[in-house]
Amino acid sequence: MAESSFQATFNDVDQTVLDTLKPPSKLYWLVVVLLFLGVLTGAACWAYQIFVGIGAGGQNVPVAWGTYLINFVFWVGIAHSGTLISAILHLFRAGWRNPIARAAETMTVFAVCIAGLFPFIHLGRVWQVIYMLPYPNQRTLWPNFQSPLMFDVVAISTYLTVSSLFWYTGMLPDLATIRDRATGLRKRIFTVLSLGWTGSHEQWRHYSRGYLFFAALATPLVISVHSVVSWDFALGVVPGWHTTIFAPYFVAGAIHSGLAMVLTLMIPIRAIFRYQNYITINVLENVAKTIVFTGLIVGFAYATEFFIAWYSHNIVEMETFLWRAVGDYSLAFFIMVICNTIIPLLFIFKKIRTHLGWLFGISLIVNVGMWYERFVIIIGSVAHDFLPHAWGLYAPSLIEYGIMFGSFCLFFFLYLLFVKHLPSMSMTEIKETLVKEATDAP
Amino acid sequence: MNRRTFLKVAGMGSLSFAAGCSKPEKHLYSLVKAPDDMVQGNGTLYASTCRECPAGCGILAKNREGRVVKIEGNPLHPINRGKLCMRGQAALQGVYHPDRIKTPMLKENGQWRAITFPQAEILIKNRTDAAAAKGSNRIRMLTEVVGDTLLSIFNDAMRQWRSPEVLIFEPFAYESLKRANKEIFGINGLVSYRIDKADLLVSFGADFLETWLSPVEYARQFKQMHAYSDGQKGFFFCVSPYQSLTGANSDLWLPCTPGGEAIIVLGLIREVLRTGRDKNLNENIRKKIEQFSSFYTRETVVKLAGASSERFDQLASHLIQAKRPLVLGTGTGGGGENGFHTDLAVNLLNLVLDPDLPTIDLGSRHRVEIAAEHAQVLDFFTKLQKDPADVVFFNNVNPVYALPSASGLREAISQPEQFTIAFANFMDETAERADLVVPVKLPLETWDEYAGKHHLISTLQPAMGKLTGAPDLGGLFLRTALYSQKTSLNYKVAVFDQLHNGNGLKGEAEWVQAIQHGGIFKPPAPDTLKTITAPKLELLNRFAQSMQSISKSVSQDMVFIAAPSIRFFDGRGANKPWLNEVPDPLSKVAWQSPVLVHPQTCEALNIEQGDVVRIESQWGRLNAPVYESDNVKAGVIVMGIGQGHSGYGRYARNFGSNPLDLLSSATVPVSGGRRLWIDSVKIQNTGQHQELATTYGSRIQHGRKIALHITTEALAQPKPAKPSGLGMWDFPLTLPLPEGYDPSRDFYPPIEYDDYRWAMTVDLDRCVGCGACAAACYAENNIGIVGEERVIEGREMAWLQVERYLDPDDMEKVVFLPMMCQQCDNAPCESVCPVYAPHHSKEGLNNQIYNRCIGTRFCSQNCPYKVRRFNWFEWKWPSPINLQLNPDVTVRSKGVMEKCSFCIQRIKTARNVAKNERRLIRDGEVIPACVQTCPTDALIFGNLMDTASRVRQMVADPRAYQVMGYINTKPAVIYLKKVRHVI
Repeated sequence: MAESSFQATFNDVDQTVLDTLKPPSKLYWLVVVLLFLGVLTGAACWAYQIFVGIGAGGQNVPVAWGTYLINFVFWVGIAHSGTLISAILHLFRAGWRNPIARAAETMTVFAVCIAGLFPFIHLGRVWQVIYMLPYPNQRTLWPNFQSPLMFDVVAISTYLTVSSLFWYTGMLPDLATIRDRATGLRKRIFTVLSLGWTGSHEQWRHYSRGYLFFAALATPLVISVHSVVSWDFALGVVPGWHTTIFAPYFVAGAIHSGLAMVLTLMIPIRAIFRYQNYITINVLENVAKTIVFTGLIVGFAYATEFFIAWYSHNIVEMETFLWRAVGDYSLAFFIMVICNTIIPLLFIFKKIRTHLGWLFGISLIVNVGMWYERFVIIIGSVAHDFLPHAWGLYAPSLIEYGIMFGSFCLFFFLYLLFVKHLPSMSMTEIKETLVKEATDAP
Repeated sequence: MNRRTFLKVAGMGSLSFAAGCSKPEKHLYSLVKAPDDMVQGNGTLYASTCRECPAGCGILAKNREGRVVKIEGNPLHPINRGKLCMRGQAALQGVYHPDRIKTPMLKENGQWRAITFPQAEILIKNRTDAAAAKGSNRIRMLTEVVGDTLLSIFNDAMRQWRSPEVLIFEPFAYESLKRANKEIFGINGLVSYRIDKADLLVSFGADFLETWLSPVEYARQFKQMHAYSDGQKGFFFCVSPYQSLTGANSDLWLPCTPGGEAIIVLGLIREVLRTGRDKNLNENIRKKIEQFSSFYTRETVVKLAGASSERFDQLASHLIQAKRPLVLGTGTGGGGENGFHTDLAVNLLNLVLDPDLPTIDLGSRHRVEIAAEHAQVLDFFTKLQKDPADVVFFNNVNPVYALPSASGLREAISQPEQFTIAFANFMDETAERADLVVPVKLPLETWDEYAGKHHLISTLQPAMGKLTGAPDLGGLFLRTALYSQKTSLNYKVAVFDQLHNGNGLKGEAEWVQAIQHGGIFKPPAPDTLKTITAPKLELLNRFAQSMQSISKSVSQDMVFIAAPSIRFFDGRGANKPWLNEVPDPLSKVAWQSPVLVHPQTCEALNIEQGDVVRIESQWGRLNAPVYESDNVKAGVIVMGIGQGHSGYGRYARNFGSNPLDLLSSATVPVSGGRRLWIDSVKIQNTGQHQELATTYGSRIQHGRKIALHITTEALAQPKPAKPSGLGMWDFPLTLPLPEGYDPSRDFYPPIEYDDYRWAMTVDLDRCVGCGACAAACYAENNIGIVGEERVIEGREMAWLQVERYLDPDDMEKVVFLPMMCQQCDNAPCESVCPVYAPHHSKEGLNNQIYNRCIGTRFCSQNCPYKVRRFNWFEWKWPSPINLQLNPDVTVRSKGVMEKCSFCIQRIKTARNVAKNERRLIRDGEVIPACVQTCPTDALIFGNLMDTASRVRQMVADPRAYQVMGYINTKPAVIYLKKVRHVI
């Protein structure tokens, strides 16, 4: 907060955050209700699909995975940056991450929840999903731990557990602060939520140790979860999937999309809740710089795939990648390349990466691009795999769009509830920064 | 409300709720006294005869607990020897069709009213009696080709009613072939051909793999002659304006303009005579033939017939060199204007090549020869129009569909003063115009006899209980017309008498034996050729004269051809869901009838595949989507016959269009036959687009080693060393056995097997692409019918698809590849399922456990062969078609994956038998449905662990390979490369 002339006190920090928890306006509730209706729409679509069969979607043979898996990977990807920002940057002592860590972590938790829904939506017989659990049974039937989908179950549930706990642990002192200033029902709720936090020295010591360990524990998960998700594809034999670059490629892509989503969320919140003094342009700029970096990694991965296809001299691979660029889905391919690697390069220019409009616009574009990346990989590869006689195309159905719409509504619905009911910025960590700045000052 | 009332109301309410909402109880009753031949859980086979076309193949109907669930060929039957085409397989769906008429329907004031069968019989009797009383010639009848017993009953009845004999109507009646046989061989009929004895075959349109005379029989013979064995492989040339499936199986296709075939035959005659290839030909005749064929020089032929001179030379030189050549004439459609001349010239050419005709069996003749000529059929309706009869019968014929609308027969049928009675099980276009529709028993439900060839009397017996109260037609005629003449009014007795009196059967025991065998199969009548040595000079003079007209009637501009269809025949198959769902072998389009247009023509007309064009002739017009096909000659457009029904049940109504609408109804004067093509049609793009229900993604293989071929020359070379690399081009054949394990390739240890490792070989050189296997698979395995819309979405459920690949270097060349689950040893599907629904069995099968499947579809994604099918919906089996379902196979519900199981239910049955006898399953004891029905024996199934098994021996063939084996999936389906001649 170097360029800011504003010097906040602890009280300012508390007040700014507590102001966000004041009774919301009618407009807020209107938006919440509309989003909830959107969620219901998605739920109704899913119910319909369960009733008539997966055929309600647009999948077929050869493209048996449609938008459900695209959205699954998309939301898992979004879920990455929260932990990246709160855990990895915490370990790296990157102080600029403090004002956005809470919002990003919350994004992670909600995005993982939504991502976790999609495999269920995707199943042909969701009512039999219990078969994936290793429960004891008379016939000693176990799930197949060789299957990448079992890896997924383990990876996603672990990630959800750890990131939720991490999120909650980080929030404890803030919850206690709210408890202390609240009255009535709110006080009773926050009393329970804050788990008897008193702010004693002993508690602070446990807290900061615990938080650090959580950060250390969560860090490998950031890498592992999306690596595991990428193995859903890389462990298959399908040309376009079966490649060793997938794990780092997917992790970079996930962080790329997650950072973009952070910008998408933070810019409006910053304006609405008057967080400008804390979430400064400097913070956003740092995110933008990271996006340039991840964008380059993703671009490099795209190029590597093409290079390896050519270098392998495997005619199936070559044909697949050629078709990716010039075939039926070439539009999706170019949306992917341009949105994910070319446009984020604009952040090289300081004017652009410090301009709120550009930041917001490009963050949206990257989100779109990352969705299309999953489309290109998941749909494009099987649509044109080994057996030419079986080639076929896919287009999502209305039901799929409905469910996708519902998932976005659910995300924003949860997020809106969060920002008005829980501290969306970490008071504790901002105060730490203030103290640190004060002690560091000459 | 007091407490007691509340308790009463609550008690009643919950009781009625519990009772009302539970499913009705279902009981399984076992029969107290079961019929002798019925053991629950075991099928009983009844020998019968297929009546889906006039060929007369023998069938075995498998009855389970009172209903027929599968039809297979009768191995004892000399015509089809246990094999069946897809139409034969689908006959079952006629029996269980949801739109089958259950009671007689009487039309009153334009409204249908259901009446009872006795009422219908009384009505028929009263009407016919009244008509007969009025005078002679008051009753007419048009029937399909039937057996002698029924035919004589019909004619007896007609005589009783003082009316003319019945007219036998077949939409494809081979008039030109019959007349040509009459002229040259003195036989006014349809002789048989011994394709298996030939070493070179030339077809001038004869589509003997699809519909021509007896397709199953000829397909078998064709592969006896044409499949590679012991270094030998016959030649097959096809001369036609378009490649039918038969043409697609030729070694060389010589495209010609429609009508140009006759000219090419004459050109060949000239070449044969010129080179002195003819032998023992009478000198006078030789001179005469030489004289009139001398005009047809190579240049003339090329010019007039629009043929390529290079290919003509190749054909001529091979024909001259052949030892036992056989030339076949026009196809099922009859060849149109020049058909008679083509067939005449073909017969002459056969005589010129060898007057002994070793490859033609004149004593064995096809029953369809009794069908009336097209001219007679038209005459029937013209007479009817001029002089309406009192009663007109139609027996299982649909002339309103099968004859061009221009013939005026619709008016003739529905004249108010005439009472039209249709014996039909479906409301087809003809039945709709009748006054009374009487359903009668279908062939699977009745006693009968039918001789597909005169000496092969094939019997029919009821293979199942009654589904409707319909009487058999013979009995109905006996009761209504011949009650005073005959001692027994039971049709079974009539059949019994016919076999005894007419065919020398003695006593009850022989009858039972005949019924069990499926017929009485005598040797053919002695060859009568020796008496006809050679054609008369007078004929040749006449022929020479009429040859003048040939060149004039060769068409050059846009010609529209209506092609008989392997799936629907003349349209009678169009109401069977399986036949609609299994795509056309060449276009791979299901449920629709696109018009096949050459890419050059498309370019000239600026149309693309899927564009809906309007085709107009002077007789009619139709709209149809375009399919770009390299199998037609430029300037020729082809459409399959069969669809475009306005009635005929839910699976036929409003699917595709009827190409016959465009045709002239006039007969060809020289042959008395019909025209199935018409020139100078106008094509116009309507600007609309129709998504084609195709089942293919790409026409070519993109060099991926899928459907391979090898030349005869390469096969003659010494075998190269076995490859042993890891690349696409040097990956070895890896058997799905421990011996296929190689530590340098494999990560996981080999899978050990005890007694069995099931496998299949597919000889691509034998596969003709007919699709019978696919239809048999639908029948055996309860595969869902998804319909046109779902096929367009890519959701067809076929466990076995015959893939069609064109050669990118020569798009006229086609390879067919039956693709089913490859039962891999390294199955990519198995490892990715989270719940072990695909499971590798101890016998190497890749089992799919439906109950365990949760529908992640990962297995399908990971299957390189894309043979897995997902139940996107709950598929419908509208009653009573559900009665056809095979009780040995689960009916899959929505949300689960399924695929070919190698007919595991049949393996289980065989194992039970073997286990009871304390032995292993013998080779050939398990025959999956596809293997069972393949007319050309392209598929062989067996146990790889048994080194003596046929399948194991086939694997050692130098042609053996695995589709995309380089993925190291170790498929258990091993293909044998197609063999091509270098011409």
